[in-house]
Amino acid sequence: MKSLFLRAILIGAIALGPAPLRAATDGEVAAHEAVLDLAGAFTNDGFKLRDGDVAGTLKSGEAVVVQVDLYAGNQYWFSVATADPKTAVSISLYDESGKLLDTSPYIDPHRAAAGYSPDVSGPYYVRLTNPGAPATYCLIYSYK
Amino acid sequence: MIVSRLILVGMLALAGTRAWAATGPMPQLSADMMAQAVEDDTFSIPTPGELLAALNKEGKPNWQAQYRPPIPTTYTSRPQIALNLGGLIADGYLAVEAEDSQQVKNIGKDIMTLAKTLGISEDVLRRGKSIEDFAENNEWSTLKEELEATQNEVKLAMDDQHDEELTTLVTMGGWIRGTEAVSGWIANNYTAPEAKLLRQPAIVALLRKKLEALPAKTRNDELVKSLDGPLRTIQTMVSFPPGQTPTQADVKSLHDTAADLISAITTNK
Repeated sequence: MKSLFLRAILIGAIALGPAPLRAATDGEVAAHEAVLDLAGAFTNDGFKLRDGDVAGTLKSGEAVVVQVDLYAGNQYWFSVATADPKTAVSISLYDESGKLLDTSPYIDPHRAAAGYSPDVSGPYYVRLTNPGAPATYCLIYSYK
Repeated sequence: MIVSRLILVGMLALAGTRAWAATGPMPQLSADMMAQAVEDDTFSIPTPGELLAALNKEGKPNWQAQYRPPIPTTYTSRPQIALNLGGLIADGYLAVEAEDSQQVKNIGKDIMTLAKTLGISEDVLRRGKSIEDFAENNEWSTLKEELEATQNEVKLAMDDQHDEELTTLVTMGGWIRGTEAVSGWIANNYTAPEAKLLRQPAIVALLRKKLEALPAKTRNDELVKSLDGPLRTIQTMVSFPPGQTPTQADVKSLHDTAADLISAITTNK
């Protein structure tokens, strides 16, 4: 009977569809550790961490846009960090019309976060920008 | 633990992702930037937990009212197995949300039967010992977190056995069954704020895009081919303008469409 529970949940874990998987680089692992450290503060405030992330490398002066889907009534924190503690990154959130939203900001030397509570369910866009040196980054989010 | 999982699972490959010149704070994203935004189902498609978290703010839904009778577990078509596996997973989320351990056990039995035919290895299935313990101890909150945390690990196992297209169908089946259950609850217990939660145009668009990208053999499966028409209808239903509220009849119509699709998916061919 115990194994039944286990199996139910493990197979339940297949619920998400396929993503292109590959081994994480050392930089991505470092960026992930850094952003988890930041998101831990939100977890302590009752936010649940989504077990997915977007990671990659941004050259100096580049930006990347990531689509997310949010539900009205929930609160969200989007957190990003770079692998190098000296390399800054910034984060901003846009609605589905592309309009910049007012978010609760958090910024430190190589990490940033944006908090938002949507009034409308639907697609939103997270924009990461790298004003400095080339950076390996990791983006995650939390909700409650 | 988290880092080891990270290494095990890997991260989203961004090969081919469009990077833009950063020109400081932008008051407006261009249509081109939004069209080429990174879309990934581990990030862009919300987990069932996120939708349920939003619904729970309006009250505690009686998810047991959305249970369905047991489905057949004798399918021979791998795409149909995958779609129904997804549906059962959605049932599992409902059972966890309802804190109904017996229902989780019942669903788990059916899931195991289907999963074995897809070659999910016992090694992988053994990874959830902690989850099993949480369930037996009725630690439901922790169980929800563990469930989400284990998702990527199992996905990696399917990736290892070259079943990427099947995981797409698992996602699809789960989303359709979830939509059926949630819209069914809202239709019978209608409130405007809950009805507005059904607005999810980008999710359906992404799922349909993934359907189109399936390998030809899977895409041409009769059942898989039959999905796009109803999904297009559902996409229209959940693509209402931001300021609009679906009526109770609208929600009922969405539920009926999703229920018809689930019926087709569960019917033994």
